[in-house]
Amino acid sequence: MSDDSVGVYVHVPFCERVCPYCDFAVVAARRLSPDQEQGYVDALLSELERRAESYAGRRLASLYLGGGTPSLLRPASVARIIRRVHETFDAAGSVEVTLEANPGSLERQRLPGFRAAGVNRISMGVQSFSDITLKRLGRAHRAAEARLALAAAREAGFDQLSLDLILAAPGQALEAFERDLEEAVAFGPEHVSLYELSIEPGTPFALADARGQLRRPNETGVLAMLEQAEHRLAAAGYARYELSNFARPGFEAVHNRRYWERRPVLGLGVGAVSSDPPSARAPFGVRRQNTRDLARYLDCTGRAESAEDRDAEIFDAATARGEAVFLALRTARGLDSARFSDEFGSPPRGFWEASIDELVGRGLLEEAPGGDLCLTDRGRLLSDSVFQYFV
Amino acid sequence: MTDVQRIRNFCIIAHIDHGKSTLADRLLDATQALSKRERRAQFLDKMDLERERGITIKAQTVRLRHRARDGEEYILNLIDTPGHVDFSYEVSRALQACEGALLVIDAVQGIEAQTLANAYLAIDAGLEIIPVINKIDLPTADPDKVAQEIEDVIGLDSADALQVSAKEGKGIEALLQAIIDKIPPPAGDLSAPSRGLIFDSWFDPYVGVVMLGRIFDGKLEVGDSIRMMETDIERDIQTLHVIDPHPRKVSSLAAGEVGMIVAGIKTLTEVRIGDTITHAKNGAAEPLPGFVAVKPMVFSGLYPVEAEDYEDLKTALQKLQLNDASLVYEPETSAALGFGFRCGFLGFLHSEIVQERLEREYDLNLISTAPTVRYRVISQDGESFEIESPAALPDASAIKRIEEPMILATIHVPPEYVGPVLGLCQERRGTQRDMAHHGSRVQVRYELPLSEVVFDFHDKIKSVTRGYGSFDYDLLDYRQAPLVKLDVLVNGDPIDALSLIVHKDAAFHRGTELVRKLKEFIPRQMFEVALQAAIGSKVIARTTVKALRKNVTAKCYGGDISRKRKLLEKQKAGKKRMKRVGNVEIPQEAFLAALKLGDS
Repeated sequence: MSDDSVGVYVHVPFCERVCPYCDFAVVAARRLSPDQEQGYVDALLSELERRAESYAGRRLASLYLGGGTPSLLRPASVARIIRRVHETFDAAGSVEVTLEANPGSLERQRLPGFRAAGVNRISMGVQSFSDITLKRLGRAHRAAEARLALAAAREAGFDQLSLDLILAAPGQALEAFERDLEEAVAFGPEHVSLYELSIEPGTPFALADARGQLRRPNETGVLAMLEQAEHRLAAAGYARYELSNFARPGFEAVHNRRYWERRPVLGLGVGAVSSDPPSARAPFGVRRQNTRDLARYLDCTGRAESAEDRDAEIFDAATARGEAVFLALRTARGLDSARFSDEFGSPPRGFWEASIDELVGRGLLEEAPGGDLCLTDRGRLLSDSVFQYFV
Repeated sequence: MTDVQRIRNFCIIAHIDHGKSTLADRLLDATQALSKRERRAQFLDKMDLERERGITIKAQTVRLRHRARDGEEYILNLIDTPGHVDFSYEVSRALQACEGALLVIDAVQGIEAQTLANAYLAIDAGLEIIPVINKIDLPTADPDKVAQEIEDVIGLDSADALQVSAKEGKGIEALLQAIIDKIPPPAGDLSAPSRGLIFDSWFDPYVGVVMLGRIFDGKLEVGDSIRMMETDIERDIQTLHVIDPHPRKVSSLAAGEVGMIVAGIKTLTEVRIGDTITHAKNGAAEPLPGFVAVKPMVFSGLYPVEAEDYEDLKTALQKLQLNDASLVYEPETSAALGFGFRCGFLGFLHSEIVQERLEREYDLNLISTAPTVRYRVISQDGESFEIESPAALPDASAIKRIEEPMILATIHVPPEYVGPVLGLCQERRGTQRDMAHHGSRVQVRYELPLSEVVFDFHDKIKSVTRGYGSFDYDLLDYRQAPLVKLDVLVNGDPIDALSLIVHKDAAFHRGTELVRKLKEFIPRQMFEVALQAAIGSKVIARTTVKALRKNVTAKCYGGDISRKRKLLEKQKAGKKRMKRVGNVEIPQEAFLAALKLGDS
């Protein structure tokens, strides 16, 4: 994992309302007061200052403002954050700066401001172009707003747009999903993320699902949607470069790829997760998560005591190896045998000879002559079953 | 040395829960065997005492002193007997060590199957029987009715019956006097070559095997060289003890006496219950009568769920056998379950006890194959041999006939439950031998194949009679039956652990149930899984577990990765607990469910 770059993730926990399937660290804040906003940004910047040391000398490759709903921040706040991050780290060429945005009217007006603040990529949480689906998902926005927001983003000069679509939403029929796909393709974003609705324990959806009230499409239905999506997006020039992500050539997400390639990411804010680079004490790196409690997080501001040490996970070789495989196999590029060997002293076959033979034999895994591994079409559908062999 | 005329050796026999332990405790109290401090706790809880004394006492055998009405002090040896049906041989040996027995009968419940079984054993052993009607303090007690049952069912004179309440200590004095008056003192020739009956033994971590014996002739002294007449093992006596109620060293045990013998024996397998102990030189010519080598009746394979626990299981079985010589085991390999042991038990209760102890005391997670009995196979060329495992059954074409062990089941039940009991016995291929009304109870006797009771017969009796039925059995003989081997196949590979020997009429039903049950518990895999039940090459039932088509996590970014990985690890751990047959992963629950199907 010889790498001198760093990605910075900034978590903005505020949402106008909390979606019934969401289990992220979020706080419902219909209106974010200026004081609240400034207080949070102050805390972020003080955390950046405190923690930059562990990433000293690294060059900035990406900055990602996620949430929550980072578009609830005023452009001035976003600018403060971007500026300070740039002051902290030298750039490694052009830096991808992504902001997740909700397609609401408030955000729409702010898009030019975000652009001016230095954001160069927008990830728009469209989810669907069907009002019924959006309602069932408990989303605040409607399809018309999504269309306006996308147009506004183009108008503001964003030439890197990503669009989130959801699949297997409650009551969603294949035809409805196909219409979503068509409209997405017609708009022509550079990047599409396609997420199957997952039911997370503890969310209102989990409860409804347990009661059989969610009317989710069955397995056959979901498979048909997946197949249709891959087919339609491929025809429109989008490559499936990761299990849930499609992009036109050259527009793959720089920041998110860092996770699948296990490159260092400094995570700032409530509940943010960092992947510290390897050190003498932790040769395979450390993953740590900040507190998910906003009050506690704010409380740590300016104190020597840090908010992030709580859940530090120091990797041992075996855990790191397992993650290296299953994260890499999520991508179309697959697992680079040489890079793996550099880090762990032996190619994947040195650790999983029998498993690789079995998975290749079952047509789930493809092995290149040099030992690189990637999932087959069937392997992508059964990826979790494949990954179990390596963790 | 005590005058033999003032020794009484007796035991207490009873159906379970009729108050045997409480009565024993009351006898201890009445004879002031225990100090006040000890009396506060139930004496049965003697773990701490064992630790303090550095020697274990397994049985509740104890020596009491009692001053009788004639002013003389008597030694009363209360000899313990094992508590359940699988140990009837051990019971018979313990009875042989006595001259009398207290037959305890619950004043509410009346005579039960075990009461009767034990009473007959005692009568066969030539014991003087004192009927004791216990729990007369209960409001629903009906001692007169029970007295009548004693006459009608057992044929004992109920005029001799004593009425007691062990709980309240009523009638205990009279009982002690009756023991002295009615039970004869031991016979035996002090000058004859020594003979002692071993009626119990256990392993003690400090001194090795401890034998509990009753001396019939002659005298054993510390330092004597002794010989076990059955196993032909010679040792020197290291210590002798009486238990009154704590082990106390004595220098000798003479004819009529009961005590513990320690002779440097290291393993229980060297000591057989019922063996005769004599002097190595100038010993007795003939052993005491009645020795039978105990043979296991019920067999099943025990396998560790985790293959790496095999050594632990082996050690646990070795340790368990130290205290339970009737447990036998030998290594066995199953294609489906890996390395394990084929174990033999005295009966199905015994097998349950052993498995429970292995799991609880040795913290093992086990898979047990369906219990089977010892079948007798007569091959086409006339050769006869016995098998204890379905896997050992040769091809059907090579078999002339198969014989299975039969039992005589004695069931006691209130009249209103006779119907369901008869139904159950018929279902289990039973043949009614007779039925008799005894007061408020009906005694039903059935000839049944042992294989039909090894699963859950006892439980079923309890459930169809709402707990009022009781059950006991004796082995009868071997009889021919149309039996077949039923195999279960997963994607064409037989699961040897699920093979069964069944009556041919039951095969289709069992086969269908087995594959249905398995399907319920086998998770979908990356490919289709065919489940079949077959007799030889003939498939009689089939079902399919459809292939898993999709198993994907959508999002996986910074915050999701650890959680995602832990989920994968958890799923993998779950898979690891499964057993692989061919390339199919089968969870332990599937085996358990299939094996539990039993005769339901």
